Amino acid sequence: MSVSAIRRLILIGLLISIGAALSVANPSFLTLDNLMTLLQEASLTGIVAIGFTLILITAGIDMSIGAVIAITSMICVNFISYTTLPAYIFIPIALTAGCAVGWVNGFFITHFKLPEFIVTLATRGILTGLALIAAVKDDQGFVRNVFIEDELFLAFGGTVGPVYIVIFVFFALALLTQFFLKRTRAGSSIYATGANPTAARLTGINTDRTLIGVYMFSGFCASLASIFLCARMMTAMPEFGIGSEMDVIASVVIGGTPFTGGVGDIWGTVIGTLFLALIKNGILKLGLSPYIQPIVIGGIIVVTVVADVWYKGFAEKRAAKTARQKQMLAQEGV
Amino acid sequence: MAKAKWMTSLIAGLVIATGAVQAQTAYKIGYLPSTVGQALTQAWRSGAEKALKEQPNVTFQALDAQMKAETQVTMMDDFINQGYSAIILQPIDAAALTASVKKAEGKGIHVVTLNTDTMLPHAAVVTMDDTGAGYLVGEMIGKSINGKGNVAIIQSPPGAQAGVEREKGFRAAMTKLYPNIKIVGAQNAAWNKDKAIEVMNSFLQVNKELDAVFAVNDNMAEGAMIAAEAAGRLSQIKIWGFNGQKSTLALIEQGKITGTAYTNAYNQGATAAKYAMDLLKGDKKKGAKTEEIIVPPFAATKDTVAQIKAEDRW
Repeated sequence: MSVSAIRRLILIGLLISIGAALSVANPSFLTLDNLMTLLQEASLTGIVAIGFTLILITAGIDMSIGAVIAITSMICVNFISYTTLPAYIFIPIALTAGCAVGWVNGFFITHFKLPEFIVTLATRGILTGLALIAAVKDDQGFVRNVFIEDELFLAFGGTVGPVYIVIFVFFALALLTQFFLKRTRAGSSIYATGANPTAARLTGINTDRTLIGVYMFSGFCASLASIFLCARMMTAMPEFGIGSEMDVIASVVIGGTPFTGGVGDIWGTVIGTLFLALIKNGILKLGLSPYIQPIVIGGIIVVTVVADVWYKGFAEKRAAKTARQKQMLAQEGV
Repeated sequence: MAKAKWMTSLIAGLVIATGAVQAQTAYKIGYLPSTVGQALTQAWRSGAEKALKEQPNVTFQALDAQMKAETQVTMMDDFINQGYSAIILQPIDAAALTASVKKAEGKGIHVVTLNTDTMLPHAAVVTMDDTGAGYLVGEMIGKSINGKGNVAIIQSPPGAQAGVEREKGFRAAMTKLYPNIKIVGAQNAAWNKDKAIEVMNSFLQVNKELDAVFAVNDNMAEGAMIAAEAAGRLSQIKIWGFNGQKSTLALIEQGKITGTAYTNAYNQGATAAKYAMDLLKGDKKKGAKTEEIIVPPFAATKDTVAQIKAEDRW
């Protein structure tokens, strides 16, 4: 088995054992309602994390995802408040807006050769302000958070049987993106662009177009998550999503996609997202003081990542040793 | 294997941590404020805990929504999934929490809200009447500067309902009672003392004549005071806060802050907890509409602050 497969198994093993410990500690953890809430929570972060994984594979970063969530929610709520257009018209418009933000990010990064962090941080700031401007106001000019009653829109927050729709969408999107990454030429271009942009360019890959596409996809994912978030909360707030970047980044990195680019896949991100959601959900079941909770969450993440890195180092050392031995044997043979 | 050892100790740790909470109790009451890090929400908590201590078989669990509506909705779901009997909630936003409160009430969980009401009926709301208290502050400021001059407002984040209500009440008093007072600025300092210092500095630089400042919570009033003092203009500016936390009351006694709209937060927390217990024990019945319990505000100034007893300061 490859090193990365074993690393993944370790993470899954940890996931299951923490889950088992939690169900022993508090029986209400292992109820259908709770598991569905957990998966719903994971899916909302996870949809954004899928887009973000592609960004990390190209060795970039997208700080604007939270603000895209905010602006998408504002677009939807404006349509709901001021027009009678049905949800199937304005939701595509909102998703297009998310892609457009991604295009702007990608354009500035590729055409002006600007650092990804700066560009996306700037769009984040601009969108945060625009979201406040676009927010629905009352007659005195104060932001008013509208209680959404559009049934078609709210259906996105609904369930099929006991399973929330967002969970299906998350896993379907994960499946499609994984297929795209591993089985298409465009997917390989993303890895190549992240691993070595110069080499990729020399082999004829249009790295600029690849990067713009990746940022557009990230914007699209954030927009999509925003729609499910609004439907779940039955409202939209201009501060939606802002600050959620950290959870997304953490999920992707726990899933084994490093910041250095060229490596990573969606399954890791799915596991990482589930892992973080499990810890965040489980911690609430332990009856700990709210002051202690963030410390425990941080601690578990550190332990997980240390275990992962330790195993990676161990496996590499072992591989090097075997290679050396082989070489020595070969030399003796001569 | 070292890793196996780590995992076992991790799991053991988790199990031990929860062992203490396992004792089954009759009633579980959850407390979910916007954040646990503020004097007001801590005072509510101690008030509620004290009231519940007299009751047998009650567990009390607080969670921290970290000022994010999304987090608060998740935590509401968690209380619901864990089968809590009642939830004392300070909604971060009325619209955003309505669906959660409805879901909880639908499962027979009583929800008592603090300060911010939601849009559909639930058990009760225990409120300090933000609009009314804002109006009261407006009246007091207007009177103290003789109905004319320049006033600035230090705001809460846009969309934070409690702060918006206070500001609305304040502005209503200005337009209705004191048309000659000019509101020269209104800036958001995010409930936060450091940020309020910055905002106040910009007010001081832009306005050579500034007569009064209304900060929609005490933390921000304290920030405004620090900035005004550093600029040497504290004596010319009346500063009013809101909530009446202990540190601000002390500053009022020293004459550095002019006044605040004080609420007995211990009492408010206790009232919410008692109301929830009454519903659970059947001493009270739930009505079709949300029961509204108003804790009246008290204008604490240098002259009146002595009336607030030491044990009622939080």
